[in-house]
Amino acid sequence: MTELRAVGIGQIIIVRAPEPLACIGLGSCVAVIMYDPVTKLGGIVHVLLPKAPTNNPDNPEKYADTGTKKLLQEMLTRGARKERIIAKLVGGAQMFPGMNLYVKDIGKANCAEVWRVLHELRVKVVAEDIEGSRGRSAFLDTNTGRVTIKSAFADKRII
Amino acid sequence: MGDDHAGRVLETIREFANIGAGSAATALSSLLDLELMNEVTACSILPLANVTDWLGGPEQVVAGSYTQLCGDLKSGILVILPEHSAKTLLEHLTKEEVDFSNLTNIQRSALKEVGNICLCWYLIAVSKMVNIDMIPSPPDATVDLLGAVLDMPLATLGAKVDTVLAVHTCFKGIDREFEGYFLMLPEESTLRLILDRMGEPKG
Repeated sequence: MTELRAVGIGQIIIVRAPEPLACIGLGSCVAVIMYDPVTKLGGIVHVLLPKAPTNNPDNPEKYADTGTKKLLQEMLTRGARKERIIAKLVGGAQMFPGMNLYVKDIGKANCAEVWRVLHELRVKVVAEDIEGSRGRSAFLDTNTGRVTIKSAFADKRII
Repeated sequence: MGDDHAGRVLETIREFANIGAGSAATALSSLLDLELMNEVTACSILPLANVTDWLGGPEQVVAGSYTQLCGDLKSGILVILPEHSAKTLLEHLTKEEVDFSNLTNIQRSALKEVGNICLCWYLIAVSKMVNIDMIPSPPDATVDLLGAVLDMPLATLGAKVDTVLAVHTCFKGIDREFEGYFLMLPEESTLRLILDRMGEPKG
């Protein structure tokens, strides 16, 4: 069995079936998961912040807007087709809701930005498990495109 | 920054964090009626993406209390307890069985309060040392995956930088199994101010 690769903050990883892919310990970060069921390519970008400060940041993978665009671009370069790609979103929680008076809800802002960009790119979002105040880990099965979500104290969910 | 200079910077920050963590551990010790020992502070300058791995991996379940300094100094400060230590702490304080998957309001509140006390004692000590007033935001606490707990502190820094200085001071119970650590994630301007006040020449 191949070792499970995990996508860290500000990273993009794309794999082909049967290799699985994971994103561990998402709080306010969002995992944008793209999957092409024909080529069985699966990719994840793990974004930390909603908007890049410039159109051309050093590390586009860190931001929801530029990271989502870059993931799509790399999926297409690897042979995926846009009309087939489906997207699933995981994360975007507010881990410290008690601080919401002076710290904005980054999780929610991340989700909104990812949604906006995916809409603009015309990529279908077929499922999501976002917001709330719980951390999540996401595991992508590239054979099926199914994503299993685990939280610290909740049952597994599959989207 | 030369290697020598970088070494001195880390040494100065280590001293700063030791003082803070020492004060917080003393407070925690008396609160828990348990002798605690501080281990050496570890500092590392590392990419945002590697912070959770440096701390043992994003998948561990921990109790984390977090405050943000919002005066002249800007830094995130956290107290992190592994699940078993947080359980020991809560059971000691509330004298009842603790089920982490289902914390009661009182237990949550106790966790927050302990975080509050530790973080305040940390700040009082370092603030006296460098003679700068530090204003913490009211802290909040949660029990979750370490990666999730650290997202917000990292996002706060990540808006400006890709590399952070993480300062980690571990504490351990002497005769009982209890451990945890303080984590400081200062912004660069704050780092410069601390070094300045502690007499470290800027190079």
